[in-house]
Amino acid sequence: MTGESWPHSGAFGEFGGRFAPELLLPALEELEAARRDIVPTPDFQQELDREAAQWVGRPTPLTAAPRFSRRAGLEVVFKREDLLHGGAHKANNVLGQALLARAMGKTRLIAETGAGQHGAATAMIAARFGMEAVIYMGERDMERQAPNVKRMELCGARVVPVAIGARTLKDAINEALRDWTHSLGTTHYLLGTAAGPHPFPRLVRDFQAVIGREAKAQWEARFGGLPDVVVACVGGGSNAIGIFHAFLGEAEVGLIGVEPGGDGLETDRHGATLVRGTPGLLHGARTMILQDAEGQILEPHSISAGLDYPGVGPEHAHLQATGRARYVAATDDEALAAFEALSESEGIVPAFEPSHALALVLRARETGEIAEGARVLLNLCGRGDKDLDTYFALGRQA
Amino acid sequence: MSLPALQAALRRGPSFSPFVVLGDPTPELSVTLARTAAENGGDMLEIGFPYSDPVADGPAVQAAGFRSLAGGTSTRSALRLLGRIAAACPETPLNLLVYGNLVHQIGWDRFAGEAVAAGASSLLTPDIPLEEAGPLRRASERAGLGHVELAGPLTPRQRLQRLAEAADFVYLAGFQGVTGVRSAGFQAMADRLREAREQVGVPLCLGFGLSRREQITAAFAAGASIAVVGSHFARIVERIFRGPEDEERLLAAYAAAARRLAGRDGSTKN
Repeated sequence: MTGESWPHSGAFGEFGGRFAPELLLPALEELEAARRDIVPTPDFQQELDREAAQWVGRPTPLTAAPRFSRRAGLEVVFKREDLLHGGAHKANNVLGQALLARAMGKTRLIAETGAGQHGAATAMIAARFGMEAVIYMGERDMERQAPNVKRMELCGARVVPVAIGARTLKDAINEALRDWTHSLGTTHYLLGTAAGPHPFPRLVRDFQAVIGREAKAQWEARFGGLPDVVVACVGGGSNAIGIFHAFLGEAEVGLIGVEPGGDGLETDRHGATLVRGTPGLLHGARTMILQDAEGQILEPHSISAGLDYPGVGPEHAHLQATGRARYVAATDDEALAAFEALSESEGIVPAFEPSHALALVLRARETGEIAEGARVLLNLCGRGDKDLDTYFALGRQA
Repeated sequence: MSLPALQAALRRGPSFSPFVVLGDPTPELSVTLARTAAENGGDMLEIGFPYSDPVADGPAVQAAGFRSLAGGTSTRSALRLLGRIAAACPETPLNLLVYGNLVHQIGWDRFAGEAVAAGASSLLTPDIPLEEAGPLRRASERAGLGHVELAGPLTPRQRLQRLAEAADFVYLAGFQGVTGVRSAGFQAMADRLREAREQVGVPLCLGFGLSRREQITAAFAAGASIAVVGSHFARIVERIFRGPEDEERLLAAYAAAARRLAGRDGSTKN
């Protein structure tokens, strides 16, 4: 430990690392070895491709959106991860990790979930592979997302209410980590986003990177060249890193992540960890987090439960620090307006999460956040069925 | 108490170490509880700083931390409470248990310096493993604060040696899991401890799962220099304290538990 470089394990510049109790290290090291030795093998990759095609529904199309584009004053093309099995990009990650867990001889999957999307995806893959699934979910989230709880249970998962702390996503992650500390012999922790201790940020990114790889090839074949800007929403950041990754080396392609601005950045009710947070240690990584002056973790707010997280994947923190990607925020109201705009203009009802990315595109002409005439690739990472009840309860006039 | 004083104390004999969460159930009472534990057989104290996301802790210690946070305890006020405990118990080594982000946010050097000024002997950050501990370890060394590394039942032999080389003492978790009272698996823990004792040269501290005097005596017999009881004490607070009217009963129960665990109640021969 000479200290030339810190964090030490799996760092992205000054972010990342492995800030987990010593008792978890055997599990993290076993997982890192499997990532290195199993994931690249032809057998694993073939099975991943086969299941991605027949169970997840890959490849997803690119959809040009002329009517939405006219409203935005920009040419916008969607990568349709909303068409995946389960209705969101989450399936890419759960498939990869469950295959890996099975290859490692694990028989039990545990996962955290906030809105229930990742929990539902984990329950689905566990059912398909005949594995046991235990999903940790904050008690408050269970009340807010009752249908998703039923969906997980229907697939045979056990949903464990987390009644401690803020009783939301971050506490569900804590509880899953605690479970894993004593169950690591039989159990894989199927973390839902590109965050957490090394090797999770890379593991999840690599399983989500198929989004950007596909989109890049599709764009080239269809339009020639590259998009000018790639836009995605950022909570933990797995869909964003998934679509950004293939473009990181293309310096002329702008990358913009959109965080949940909640009630507004001037309030304390938002989840904009990159835009408003400070560096800290959370859930195993040094990253940008929402914390008070003395390091207690704050509870974020967003209309989108999937973006409601006080941390963010460390690679995004690094991309922001180096200036390779830019991060902005969109408020709940902006996201809702964009949700309506896409539904009306293209007949696609998006999830609240990508509605934040859509909101940026809609306001960009006014704010100058995206250059005029730019061709935009936007990751439409989930469909909005899950959000309809919340939406209609707001009583908005569409 | 300084690190050299802690080391001298450990050379004199094994230390029973009750665990107290600063601010639980109230700031004032946590100081009194610490003093009570020290006066009733606690040779050393482990002092927990409350944190919003305590991933290494089981339900009892989590709840203690949340009670403390709900009462308004902050890292700053916790450092002040620590200073009062050190003043009240000048002969008692104080090992801090502080989650990494609290230290990171204040700054490694500043935290280590303020902890030593307040009277801390050593520091364990349960979520900063060896590989990530470099900056913290150097800051602690500069400040004269003891550095503690955590090890577990699955920690391989070679790694245990590396942990020991980096630490003033090694905190061995007796069970694979989070903190909390357990009844099973004690023999395996004692065996593991005996094995570790032969492998490393620094003092060993045993924690996670201890709640009975016979476990403590067995831990000492197997080579532990320190035996920590945490969740058991947090449960006493949880069970008894509802308001100021319960203070006397709480202190009596705390003192009785400390005496019993220290082997001072006459019922168990040491």
